[in-house]
Amino acid sequence: MADFSAQSYRQPFPFLDIDPTMESLTQFAELNPQSFILDNSAFNFQTFFPLSVNDSLFSNQASQGETMSGFIHNSNQSSVSAQPIFSAKTEVEEISNKRKALDILESSSGNSSSSSPPVSETGIKRRNNSGRGKRAKSNEKEMEKPKEVVHVRARRGQATDSHSLAERVRRGKINERLRCLQDIVPGCYKTMGMALMLDEIINYVQSLQNQVEFLSMKLTAASTYYDFNSESDAMERMQREKAEEAKELERLMREGYVGIGGVACFHSSSTYGPL
Amino acid sequence: VKNPSSSLKSRFITRFLGALTKINAEDPISSPSPTRILQLYRRIKVASNKSMAYSVRSRRIWSRAMLSRFRSRRSAFSGRRSSVKTTNCTTINVTINENKTAKGGLDMQTDELRELVPGGEAMDVCNLLDETAHYIKCLTTQVQVMRKIVDFCHISKKSSM
Repeated sequence: MADFSAQSYRQPFPFLDIDPTMESLTQFAELNPQSFILDNSAFNFQTFFPLSVNDSLFSNQASQGETMSGFIHNSNQSSVSAQPIFSAKTEVEEISNKRKALDILESSSGNSSSSSPPVSETGIKRRNNSGRGKRAKSNEKEMEKPKEVVHVRARRGQATDSHSLAERVRRGKINERLRCLQDIVPGCYKTMGMALMLDEIINYVQSLQNQVEFLSMKLTAASTYYDFNSESDAMERMQREKAEEAKELERLMREGYVGIGGVACFHSSSTYGPL
Repeated sequence: VKNPSSSLKSRFITRFLGALTKINAEDPISSPSPTRILQLYRRIKVASNKSMAYSVRSRRIWSRAMLSRFRSRRSAFSGRRSSVKTTNCTTINVTINENKTAKGGLDMQTDELRELVPGGEAMDVCNLLDETAHYIKCLTTQVQVMRKIVDFCHISKKSSM
């Protein structure tokens, strides 16, 4: 019966067979406090299978999920306890992260779906949850987010519709970028919230821009007192040295060097002076 | 590891030093009138930012925005009405609304950041942070190089005195 129903839905949506997901769904039902889905009656799922086996909803882009959510919401009204399925569905996407796993699951009727590599990790976890214990809850929280951008694990108590998933992906990206900025900008501590870090970043950018202005002012002052005609030789020198290494220039400036253009510039660190 | 001769730093240095010599070659340095100095200051500042933008070329949104700003300013200065690349207004509205729904109280900071980073108005938060990171890196290079040039000038001046 489940197969027949799955077949009928094969065309518009690449649904899974119910059977492989039955066991997992029963376990995931435990996560739901209401537990509309009964513990051991797998056949109860058959009435809800149109909603439950749509793992492709989350296995690909959220845009695809949007087309699915319309269908799901429509059938949601028809079924009584479709709501717990939504939280269960998030586990389903974990089962088959990639589309190929879908075919494997469709062909197999048992728990051999866990043999496919992308779902091996989740398959092992499923085997551990052989009982319908509370362990399923903690395992769900421990499971890491897959590395791909699109696959986002929905944690307990979080909405699972495509919009919030996309939101979560976006937020993850932003947090990642913020962390990079944290390393660049001095004075950012990991304990700081986003607002504080943004403040720090803004201050830093402003201070850098002010520094550029200040230094350009200094350069103008230097240029008014200094004859830049002989600067050209120094320029060649600087270009050559910078091409090698940036630090070497500083070191050479401190120790003294002879320019190729003939302009000698000897000075010890004592004449460096406060600048 | 990038080839040092083509790194951002060396590109900026060559360009900036070239601009500096050009500036100093044009104007007589002897007249220290305040307007002169101000003009010189502005030109050096513009040269610095421009050299950096040109060294980054068009690889970054902020550098593209900066370059288009320079070009529009130049053409506006010469009297011609240029087809300035203006950001799409709908894009701005979309991003602002998006921010409001997502990040509530952080709009102020993101807006501030947008003002600071050139071309930031039309970027979403994700890209904005990315561009900010690169912009900060370029600014630090700029500051570093300018500081070395200033030091070099001072040292040469002291030794020649």
